[in-house]
Amino acid sequence: MAVLQYLINGLSIGSIYAIIALGYTMVYGIAKMLNFAHGDVIMVGAYISYCVMIYLKMPPVVAILAAIVVCTVLGVLIEALAYRPLRGTSSLAVLITAIGVSYFLQNAAQLIWGVAQKTYSSVVTMESVHLFDGKILITGEVIVTIITSAVVMVCLTLFTSKTRTGKAMRAVSEDRDAAQLMGINVNRTIAVTFAIGSALAAIAGVLLCSASPALKPTTGSMPGIRAFTAAVFGGIGSVPGAMLGGILLGVIEELCKGLISTQFSDAIVFGVLIIVLLVKPTGLLGKQIQEKV
Amino acid sequence: MLKIDDIHVYYGAIHAIKGVSFEVNEGEIVALIGANGAGKSTILKTVSGLMHPRSGSITFMGESISHTDAYKLVRHGLAHVPEGRRIFLQMSVQENLDMGAFTQKNVSKEDLDMVFDLFPRLKERRHQVAGTLSGGEQQMLAMSRALMSHPKLMMLDEPSMGLAPILVDQIFSIIKDLHKAGTTILLVEQNASKALQIADRAYVLETGSITLSGTGPELARSDEVRKAYLGG
Repeated sequence: MAVLQYLINGLSIGSIYAIIALGYTMVYGIAKMLNFAHGDVIMVGAYISYCVMIYLKMPPVVAILAAIVVCTVLGVLIEALAYRPLRGTSSLAVLITAIGVSYFLQNAAQLIWGVAQKTYSSVVTMESVHLFDGKILITGEVIVTIITSAVVMVCLTLFTSKTRTGKAMRAVSEDRDAAQLMGINVNRTIAVTFAIGSALAAIAGVLLCSASPALKPTTGSMPGIRAFTAAVFGGIGSVPGAMLGGILLGVIEELCKGLISTQFSDAIVFGVLIIVLLVKPTGLLGKQIQEKV
Repeated sequence: MLKIDDIHVYYGAIHAIKGVSFEVNEGEIVALIGANGAGKSTILKTVSGLMHPRSGSITFMGESISHTDAYKLVRHGLAHVPEGRRIFLQMSVQENLDMGAFTQKNVSKEDLDMVFDLFPRLKERRHQVAGTLSGGEQQMLAMSRALMSHPKLMMLDEPSMGLAPILVDQIFSIIKDLHKAGTTILLVEQNASKALQIADRAYVLETGSITLSGTGPELARSDEVRKAYLGG
């Protein structure tokens, strides 16, 4: 019975990782860069929703929408100001810039909101559900998180497979030059990708802090790294891979914490990653490159 | 229609195109022939805006396009079928055609019928992932994809590369059909004999410069071309 509880908790935290990992993997797939500031956009989203709820006394829905809008704009600005001028230069320069943006966001958050930890009040008002005479506890946050991430995944899958912009994103991801020859504006497509990724980060930030309410300027970094790991685990660049990787990572993490040891959970999670990459270097659902002459 | 005037193109420090000038008039088939590494593909990439010349000018339909981005030129009626086809291997045939029609308001049924008429094989494989097509089918898809944008000038880079002789004949006969239907063609080929057979005019490119030019039949008879490109 305890295992079922760990599985449910793992599914919930894994869904959050999956939403964050989608941002990493989409940006990697389309802009061919690792946006290490992605985790910090989560933190900004959480702070914005916190401020709208606490200081402006607005309902959670407004807070979530505000977080999504601010993070979307922030993501597009980061791309335009920090990454776009470096397009075509070495990927190392872009990587270092991304780390710089990450520190910039954390320090800006410290300046604005201070270093002291804030207690986030959950946006979820749903009652917890008890099953099997109270042996299994499913909190409202867990239910909302799992449903939200399922909706996000369905929407994103439909978007990339059915819409014109979504298909253009896949085309840019596969062959940037050929996409330009179709008349696709690559810069605009990359900006749209950052907008979507950052909007997802805002949602992840709200869900994350609703589940574990400690909000501080470094809140986003550890989930960010775990989600990045999840994206690599599932196959970086692959949307279904990020979803699968995120959920698996969350489940493995919770099972380790519950059954083996809390301290060792990270070591085990990263150990599994290393084994997967040794066996399948492109990740679980990584793209097989096949070319015909 | 297309006028290239003394362009110089570099890859970093490498001077790849050294002052090339030529033109393509409306309604012509013009061929650029030359050995590997002569700079044929670089010229096409520079015309379509994937690369930009360091000096010199490119004019298309009376407008200077030397520094225009590639994605804008598609709307002007310029299509480039790149070397190695470069179709989207992970997308379906239909999705590749959708991308070809990116500049159009929607993917019209007439356009789809037009390319499926030219290449019935693609219709059968419409929902197949493009990476599973044979080389010849991939070339057909690359050409169809370019046609979806209603090009006035179509630039083809090595359309016969790696294809069986029977497919080469088929591709060349379709190029002639497209030309008859009113599309101007700029063709880059290593298969010089085939290219000179259908070209109104042709230019010979050697290490970044044009060394010979003339009508297709003239060049096909020229001793230099016969020795170097037509096997004596």
